[in-house]
Amino acid sequence: MFKYQFRWDTVWGSFDFLMSGLQMTLVISAITLVLAMVLGLVIALMDMSRFAPLRWIGVSIGEVIRNTPILVQLLWVYYVLPIVFSVRIESLTALVIGLSLYQAAFISEVYRSGIQGVPKGHREAAQVLGLTPTQSFFRIVLPQAVRMTLPPLASNFVQLIKFSSLGAVISVSEITRRGMELSATNFRPLETFTFIAVVYFLICWPLAMGIRWWERRLQAR
Amino acid sequence: MAGTPIIVADAVSKKFGDHQVLTRVTLPVMERDVVCVVGPSGSGKTTLLRCLALLETPSEGRVVMQGTAISTPGQEKPVKAAARAVRSDIGMVFQHFNLWPHMTVLENLIEAPIRVKKLPKDQAVAIAERLLAKVDLSEKRDAYPARLSGGQQQRVAIARALAMSPKVLLFDEATSALDPELRREVLLVMRQLAQEGMTMLVVTHEMNFARHVGTRTAFMDRGEIVEEAPGAAFFDAPKTERAQRFLQQFEE
Repeated sequence: MFKYQFRWDTVWGSFDFLMSGLQMTLVISAITLVLAMVLGLVIALMDMSRFAPLRWIGVSIGEVIRNTPILVQLLWVYYVLPIVFSVRIESLTALVIGLSLYQAAFISEVYRSGIQGVPKGHREAAQVLGLTPTQSFFRIVLPQAVRMTLPPLASNFVQLIKFSSLGAVISVSEITRRGMELSATNFRPLETFTFIAVVYFLICWPLAMGIRWWERRLQAR
Repeated sequence: MAGTPIIVADAVSKKFGDHQVLTRVTLPVMERDVVCVVGPSGSGKTTLLRCLALLETPSEGRVVMQGTAISTPGQEKPVKAAARAVRSDIGMVFQHFNLWPHMTVLENLIEAPIRVKKLPKDQAVAIAERLLAKVDLSEKRDAYPARLSGGQQQRVAIARALAMSPKVLLFDEATSALDPELRREVLLVMRQLAQEGMTMLVVTHEMNFARHVGTRTAFMDRGEIVEEAPGAAFFDAPKTERAQRFLQQFEE
């Protein structure tokens, strides 16, 4: 192998700089998850609506988002939305909007299977007892669906942490972007990007393992 | 048996696509009646019950509650309004219990009284506790349904239906999903209700219950009521050949 003089000190020297990027990454992921959960529910409800135009819109949004690359969507939100609506969109806002929409499209599917997974009899019992369809949905169906969807939602959070690195392309100063900036000044891409990969792994791997354990426990009940 | 029936299936027919499940079934249920509906599987018993529970809309005919139509093929506005008004007067107990698994036993019992009848919580809880004592499950008040046996779950389901103080209680093969040794405890509760004067319509395969507890038995086959007789008369002297053949299965 080639002779390489490791200079990890260039990374340690900028540890705080990189960690502030990590903080940004986690904040973005958390905000986006919350927004995506709400948006996803809206899309799922539209998908299942009895009102055909609403259903059509919901399904279309989902299909378009699921079948175009997330990077193109982010670029579209960042560069095209400002032209269409003649507003200035901060890169951070663009990233949060783009990621939320993208995740919402997937989360809506999670909700839908969760909602359709609630046995019909549970709704009939509610109906016979006189609960309105709205009461039945919010009191009987949704709480059960949410419980079934918690592990998949947590998996989405892991995905979001990784996808938020795409923010680097539109210069959102999350950890990947910080890494790019650092390696441009210390000329040490090997150390810098290896360190960043390890940071992602150390966060995502335990989360993923925890979710797997959680899923097994829920199934065992 | 004078007066207006509590609930009547009035010439009810039901089709699913081309499949005729019920053909002009007429069945009145008078106050304090315990009408048992028996017959081979696929004879339309459950569909009839679901029409009365307003879970299915008849293709022809109507469901009438104390003189007012509450379900018709067209579901016209006044009919729907009448149905809403009497909705919780019709209780139903399902074959598969259908307790809500994310709520405790108590929460299952107070949900509808609080949300539908707008009872204050303490009052709903008091009613629920009284009913749990009645079905002998007071100690399971705070348990989740998954922790209960099938028989216990069904008794909770009966208590949940009673919590709305219905005028008629419909039982859809309430013991069919239970192991034989668990059926007894549910049948005992049903018998007790009958003795207290609850108006009941019971779709069942329990011939002993129908014979000894039922005030009337209706025998259904291929979507029609073939024979109807008070109490034990149906079992002692079935008139039609179809009923005789059906009852023979239970004799061995």
